[in-house]
Amino acid sequence: MLLQILVSGFVLGCVYGLIALGYSLIYKSSGLMNFVQGDVLTLGAFLGYTFFSVLGMPYWLALICTIAVAFAFGMCMERFVIRKLLSRGVLAIYIVLATIAIQYILQNTIQAIWSTKMLSYPQIFSIPSVKIGGVMVQCESIFCIIMSFLSMFGLQAFMKYTRFGTAMRASAMDAKAAQACGINTSLSTGISWGLAAGMAALAGILLGPIYGVFIMLGSTIGRKGFAAAIMGGYGNMYGAILGGILLGVVETMVAGYLSSTYKDMIAYALLLLFLFVKPTGIFNERAITE
Amino acid sequence: MLLEIDHLCLSFGGLKATNDVTMHMEAGKINGIIGPNGAGKTTFFNQISGVYKPDSGTITFDGKRIDGLKPYQINEAGIARTYQVINLFRKMSVIENVMVGMHPRLRSNFFDSLLHNKKQREEEKNAREKAMELLEFVGLEQYANEQAGALSYGQQRLLEIVRGLASDPKLILLDEPAAGMNSAEKVELNTLLRKILARGVTILIVEHDMKLMMDISDRIFVLNYGQKLAEGTPAEIQKNPDVIAAYLGGDDE
Repeated sequence: MLLQILVSGFVLGCVYGLIALGYSLIYKSSGLMNFVQGDVLTLGAFLGYTFFSVLGMPYWLALICTIAVAFAFGMCMERFVIRKLLSRGVLAIYIVLATIAIQYILQNTIQAIWSTKMLSYPQIFSIPSVKIGGVMVQCESIFCIIMSFLSMFGLQAFMKYTRFGTAMRASAMDAKAAQACGINTSLSTGISWGLAAGMAALAGILLGPIYGVFIMLGSTIGRKGFAAAIMGGYGNMYGAILGGILLGVVETMVAGYLSSTYKDMIAYALLLLFLFVKPTGIFNERAITE
Repeated sequence: MLLEIDHLCLSFGGLKATNDVTMHMEAGKINGIIGPNGAGKTTFFNQISGVYKPDSGTITFDGKRIDGLKPYQINEAGIARTYQVINLFRKMSVIENVMVGMHPRLRSNFFDSLLHNKKQREEEKNAREKAMELLEFVGLEQYANEQAGALSYGQQRLLEIVRGLASDPKLILLDEPAAGMNSAEKVELNTLLRKILARGVTILIVEHDMKLMMDISDRIFVLNYGQKLAEGTPAEIQKNPDVIAAYLGGDDE
């Protein structure tokens, strides 16, 4: 029982972590919040389903195509909406509201294209599940956890050790100085939004085979990912992952041992507790004073 | 001429911050810009580096028009700059700051970065070696792995200059590099500027410290109320009656 709960907690937590990473990236690069994240997850789940099950692509190809489409969506959103608003000198809070508007537009567009009925992915792996420590674990769950960790560490390494990642960090720290160093800061910001969307879509195509694909798949996860980002330390990459896993495990524990009725209540109570006791999160990220 | 600025104009509302300024600067020289407070020196700098777009006039650098380009494009064209207020990446290490400065000269693209392939790794290694060499040039090599924000004020100034040099510029714009430096540091700055010149980098410097400017500049341009008041060698400028009047009768100095 415990192991099974831990596995599902980790799956959910990794997904929260991927979404939270997106929030962190966008906050670091633009100082903004993007509430479209959750619905990009839904989009990713539907796109993945279409590429894999309707168009018959191999799963890995469907995965790459889904991420690529979402990446383009994120970049376009930054270029044609966010940057346009910023250049008009609109206050940050209105831009956050604009992302909420885009969220509903995207949700409705998805509904118009794929309808409201629930879809399920066909079997991805030749063996459906493996036995670990006496319990049967779905292969998709293991794959979800592995892929999430790979992309999280991959992103961290990309930001830390590559020229583009360094340029992105530089733009986030001081845009004016970065420009004087020959960095195209608008491109860096665009890539950040693209990567955030790409990770959300990845979460969608990983989660879709486990939870099924439906129009509201991402909306709660989007909000929980936000909570996870705060718990980890808003803007901190490691914090995003850890906050996600903490939230995912706590939530599944509550659902498993108490009742699933209370899981959201406890999850958000945990968020409130963090806001009061440690608003800088586990990793002590001083997003607020910055 | 390395940098030719012709009939440059920029207004903010009714204020003519730059008013028909023409300056031609030779390569291999230390060119100084002086002027009383509010003369429009930094505004002028900001047009060369692309932070502001001039209303009219042209800026030609190394034979190419650069007016109206974006700051990062101007850096790519070969002009680096420092700011009046220190603008370092404070949470990055000292060496990382220098490596960010090399950004436009590195050739690997986004996908090389993503894949971290051989081309990227080799370039990264060379960049690190070159960054160390630059740090040695100003004597900051022992701080390479410390956070930039932890350096002393004078060291941060040096690091900002080195970061500018990292892009292999033909021209470096220094906006009040001596601000906040003590007299010993100013003497060192003087030596450093000569060393930078010896690397083949032309210097354009804005500075308040009159004595320092007279000591180091090969050619001085004087701005007053957004207009060019005079230009010449330091000796000529010191004798120029218009310049003396502007400074003695000046509003703030």
